[in-house]
Amino acid sequence: MPQITSALATGTTAPPTSPAPALKRRSRTTGERLQTVLFIASLGWLALLLVLMFVSMATPWLDPFQQDFGATKQAPGFAHPFGTDANGRDVLARTVAGAQNSFTVAAITLVVGAVTGSVIGIVCGYFRGWFDSVVGLALDTLMAFPALMLIILLVSFRGPSLWTIGGAIGLLMIPSFARVTRSITLSVRSREYVQAAVLIDTPTPRILLTAVLPAVAPVLVAYAFTAVTVGIVAEGSMSFLGYGLAAPAPSWGGIIAEGRTALAQAPWITLAPAATLTITVLAINVIGERFKEKRK
Amino acid sequence: MVRRAGRALCVLFLVALATMSLPLLLPGSAAVAVLGTNVSAAELAAFTSMHHLDANPLERLWMWVTGVLHGDLGTSIVSGASVAGELQARLPITVELVVLSQLLAILLAIPVALRAAWRPGSLLDRLSAGLSFVLLSIPGFVLGLALIFLFAVQLRILPATGWVGFAQDPVGHVQHLILPVLTLSLGEAAVYLRALRANAGEILVENYIHAARSRGMAPGRILRTRVLRSASLPLVTIVGINIGASFGGALIVETLFAIPGIGRLLSSSIAVRDYPVIESLAIIAALAVVVATVAVDLSYRIIDPRISHAANN
Repeated sequence: MPQITSALATGTTAPPTSPAPALKRRSRTTGERLQTVLFIASLGWLALLLVLMFVSMATPWLDPFQQDFGATKQAPGFAHPFGTDANGRDVLARTVAGAQNSFTVAAITLVVGAVTGSVIGIVCGYFRGWFDSVVGLALDTLMAFPALMLIILLVSFRGPSLWTIGGAIGLLMIPSFARVTRSITLSVRSREYVQAAVLIDTPTPRILLTAVLPAVAPVLVAYAFTAVTVGIVAEGSMSFLGYGLAAPAPSWGGIIAEGRTALAQAPWITLAPAATLTITVLAINVIGERFKEKRK
Repeated sequence: MVRRAGRALCVLFLVALATMSLPLLLPGSAAVAVLGTNVSAAELAAFTSMHHLDANPLERLWMWVTGVLHGDLGTSIVSGASVAGELQARLPITVELVVLSQLLAILLAIPVALRAAWRPGSLLDRLSAGLSFVLLSIPGFVLGLALIFLFAVQLRILPATGWVGFAQDPVGHVQHLILPVLTLSLGEAAVYLRALRANAGEILVENYIHAARSRGMAPGRILRTRVLRSASLPLVTIVGINIGASFGGALIVETLFAIPGIGRLLSSSIAVRDYPVIESLAIIAALAVVVATVAVDLSYRIIDPRISHAANN
């Protein structure tokens, strides 16, 4: 999974906008207006998905398993906005149900990767010593181990559940989170106000909570957006390869893979969930970008 | 430098040891997976000990290493084929895909990033920033499917899947290469473009650039000789990480386009618990990561001689 490392290594930070000369002012404001429109559209897209997910869970509409063999591979229309698949199931209903699983995996990924990673990073950066070296070596080893192989191994031997998939992807994110938090903690640790706090015997947990955590948190949040998209993409890729949730359960990658054989006759089965997946990732990236810019 | 190399070796050793422990760590027996359940316990035990599946990981690693020194990577416990022979057939395919797509990504990213940085806020700058932002959000398999849909299903100008050797049919070989290489390279190109554009923007405001401009140096020459060299350090790092990781990660594109590379060999071997194949592949993939990391370190010194001067003093 080269995307994980490179996306986390580079982040999705925009190239720094150089100070605009007075002449360029007009184009800058149109650019800013476009960004605001994109931001609102992204929020709207995620809100729409959430509402549809709620409808699918709480009401009998948008049932992802309901089959209608009289209406297989129907093109998108009024009754089925995304069309129907080879078993006559509504592709929109399956896409919405896939979103639930995708978001669940992304959430597990984030909890495992961000929480474990930052705890490791903070402890290593604050206490240093042999523990830091040993953990550093372990993280390097984890990063050198082929990522997809690790996920496939875990999933094929532990069975495909949301927890296994999310945990496996999260495990691979630990090194990136640990590295970032470690380097921030290192720099905070050497600040004078922290040194002073150590000298007057402030309890270590208190220093960690009041000095280290506030410095680490904003960077973590910025990273979290990238991590969520990496989690969603990784879950999609794994289920596309057949290492996702088992067959009837809907997941984005799974639906896309199912529709592949009918790409020529019924492209919507593949393209509609594929577009939904891409737009969702794009929306999260737009919101994350906005957050990073606000922080500057 | 010596410390770094030592650490790299240490990481490699640990990955190898972890892979060799897989038969012990993972539930279920490979012997049952290969022979089925209709054989006696004695036969299962004989199979297990013949392939040293119950030996301790250090011992297995030692056997693997001595085998490698004799040019022998072991044999598949499922098909009985030699792992070295299997790799000889498949590794070149994956290497070709990875190298070509990285080259294409770099060749696409460098000119666009430098030109965009030269005129910040220009149409090219905004277009390339927007496009790369979108490209970064498209998962690889979705991009591949979209390319297949466009070029193979709609336009019918390229084959959707499959692989033809160069010796068999050079034209067909290139035709089958185009879509997978595009799939792999477009996403990488977007990453490289953003990294290089950001760094070039920072370097273009430095005094030595102003000095070069005031002496009348041509923009193209400034970009090539002054900006690219300094801006390429982070780029080299990311390219190194990606090349190292891509040998383990070519699986998605190889599955999507039905290309017989090492990615697919890996997934099929895991499915049947073919440990000798899994072990060799994992160690090779880790070796690629470690070699890429060391190569990046070495290239720093060539690109920016100040680094080795600082290390020597």
